[in-house]
Amino acid sequence: MAVPLRVTNRPPARIRRQLPHSPWLFAAPGLLVTGAFVLYPFVSTLVNSFTDRRTLLPGRFVGLANFRELLHDDMFWTGLRNSTLYVLGVVPALVVLPLLLALLVQKNIPGITFFRSAFYTPVVASIVVVGLIWVWLLDERGLVNSLLQAIGIGRVGFLSDQWLLLLSAMAVTVWKGLGYYMIIYLAALADVPRELHEAAAVDGAGPLRRFLTVTVPAVRSTMVLVAALSSVAAFKVFSEVYLMAGPDGGPAGEDTTLVMLVQRTGTGLTGRVGYASALSVVVFLVTVALMLLVLRTDRREEP
Amino acid sequence: MPTPRRALLAAAVALVLPLSACGSGGDGGGSTDASGKVEGNITFETWNLRANFKSYFEGLIADFEKKYPGTQVKWIDQPAEGYADKLSADAGGGTLPDVVNVSPDLVAPLARAGLAMDLDKAAGTYKSEYLQGAWASHQVPGLSGTYAFPWYLNTGPLFYNKALFREAGLDPDQAPRTYDELFADALQMARKSGGKVATLANVPTIEDFGRYGVPLMNQQGSAFAFNDTKGVELLTKYKQLYDAGALDPQALTATPESSGKKFLTGAVAMNPGSALDLGNFKKNAPSLYRNIGITDQITSTGHVNMYVMGVMVNSRTRHTPAAVAFAHFVTDAQNQMSFAKKVAIFPSTAGSLNDPYFTKEDGTDETRVRIAAAKSLKNAVNYTPVLFSDQMKTALRNEVAKALQGKESPKQALDNAVKAADRLLQQG
Repeated sequence: MAVPLRVTNRPPARIRRQLPHSPWLFAAPGLLVTGAFVLYPFVSTLVNSFTDRRTLLPGRFVGLANFRELLHDDMFWTGLRNSTLYVLGVVPALVVLPLLLALLVQKNIPGITFFRSAFYTPVVASIVVVGLIWVWLLDERGLVNSLLQAIGIGRVGFLSDQWLLLLSAMAVTVWKGLGYYMIIYLAALADVPRELHEAAAVDGAGPLRRFLTVTVPAVRSTMVLVAALSSVAAFKVFSEVYLMAGPDGGPAGEDTTLVMLVQRTGTGLTGRVGYASALSVVVFLVTVALMLLVLRTDRREEP
Repeated sequence: MPTPRRALLAAAVALVLPLSACGSGGDGGGSTDASGKVEGNITFETWNLRANFKSYFEGLIADFEKKYPGTQVKWIDQPAEGYADKLSADAGGGTLPDVVNVSPDLVAPLARAGLAMDLDKAAGTYKSEYLQGAWASHQVPGLSGTYAFPWYLNTGPLFYNKALFREAGLDPDQAPRTYDELFADALQMARKSGGKVATLANVPTIEDFGRYGVPLMNQQGSAFAFNDTKGVELLTKYKQLYDAGALDPQALTATPESSGKKFLTGAVAMNPGSALDLGNFKKNAPSLYRNIGITDQITSTGHVNMYVMGVMVNSRTRHTPAAVAFAHFVTDAQNQMSFAKKVAIFPSTAGSLNDPYFTKEDGTDETRVRIAAAKSLKNAVNYTPVLFSDQMKTALRNEVAKALQGKESPKQALDNAVKAADRLLQQG
């Protein structure tokens, strides 16, 4: 006798009993890692920012004293200025140049894979190696200065002048970031319908016109994403400036960025953990504000 | 719904449990009584010694374990860069090794946090084995007690490039010995080379102020004082050097490594170093090695600067007798002497510097440097104040840079540096 087939979407009772636990069990490893390495340090930094904690000495609650102190700290304003300048200098270049590069390497011509890989190489190179190479290039007796001297311009203090140092570090950040954002743009460009370009071409639009009226609107969201990612990274810049300007942050510390200041203030056996935490909280707030600002721009421009 | 809530609770407990281990390691162990049986497993941390002295330390540890059966020493060697950060992470995490290689400025914060054992109490009987000044070098102002066994001492000679001296019309066999002579020679070098060859690649440090005869702290050791007339005079002279091109243009951001490279390539004419550098010159810059001149540190006080190394015992060690015995073993006269014969350092134990190894010439440059250094060590001074922290050093370097660039007067710069250092000192 055939058993009538009952179609149901209810899981068997044994599985049903386990269901309420299962999501938590699956999430547990992630929660654990996020809790230990993201949430705990974040909360701990927030709490420490209201104390005068030192590396080896427990702190006392001091209210807003750290935040008041940083308002009168020249180094804080120097760091804020440099981190902001970094965003202003680096972000436009990282939004535009990788797009142009992506347009160049998008074409399927012989040997293009080599160029794609070549442009991506700085991304995978260690930042320490990159920093050292550029220090050798830009040294007073480095390759760049030797060339400049050979053509009669004379030596330029790329690594000894406050502003040239910052500009050099920005150039390295752009150079190292180009390939990374180029890949993002390549993915976005692959989604731009070919018909749009063809239609524009039929209407008589030249390459520049097609770029401005077809490509840019199509990749606008990606440009905003790149702006958001690069502005956060630029505001938190550490390695490039640290490697090129030295641990003090250039002559008289004039090239110090905010994250370098956090590192210098809060580490070592005599580190002022409380004060460095207050600086970190400021970096966090500015970063969140930057993200919101960039994403808001995107929303406002939405048709 | 009870079940998800329980699951949430479980997740929260799972989250918090590992974090509870992140605290300050507890206060297990810890006694200054070193009189018990020497036994147990201990850890010994050094910086940057494994690469060149692996066999020496392995032999030392084997000897100790043989002398005290039942002990086992685990040796951890850390890179020099970031050593203080590593110590602070270990100290904060409760994983500070039992015996640690320190310098006086590293031992001060550890002693103030109660992590360095007072050896006057735990090992006072050994005190007479060491030079008096060396034993005192690990005392911390504001605390009573001594917090590390003195280990080796060092004082570096000053190297100079005889060829560059000759080209500048200076006598290559007559290197400057005082700051006044140094400034005169440096200005001449800059003038004759058209600003292409600098004499120095570094800005003045706290040790320079000390060697120039500037009082670094007040008599009570409660405030800094290097902004006095003499300090201003030194910085004013350095400003003249900087303006004349007698200081390397990148001096304001130089590190000891970068200035060493400048000397190696002939961009600067003088650089401090140690006898170890001679081998480096011979290998990497043979033409420089042929022209190398060796002279004493520049000083206007007659006392050169001395660097002191120490070995401290973690006050929370679970094996106090073994840790104290090992720290003493590493630094005793016999072991310091055999270490000194492997590397250009000098023992801090009483009478060791009278050994023929430090007094008898054999015609080589290495021996000449060693004998000269050992001689100058007898009245050398450790100019770096124990409480002069990394943050204070940065503040001084930044203010010195501002003065050299002409952004502040030397007086203003030093006043600012002293103010910043005093504020950091008061904040503990």
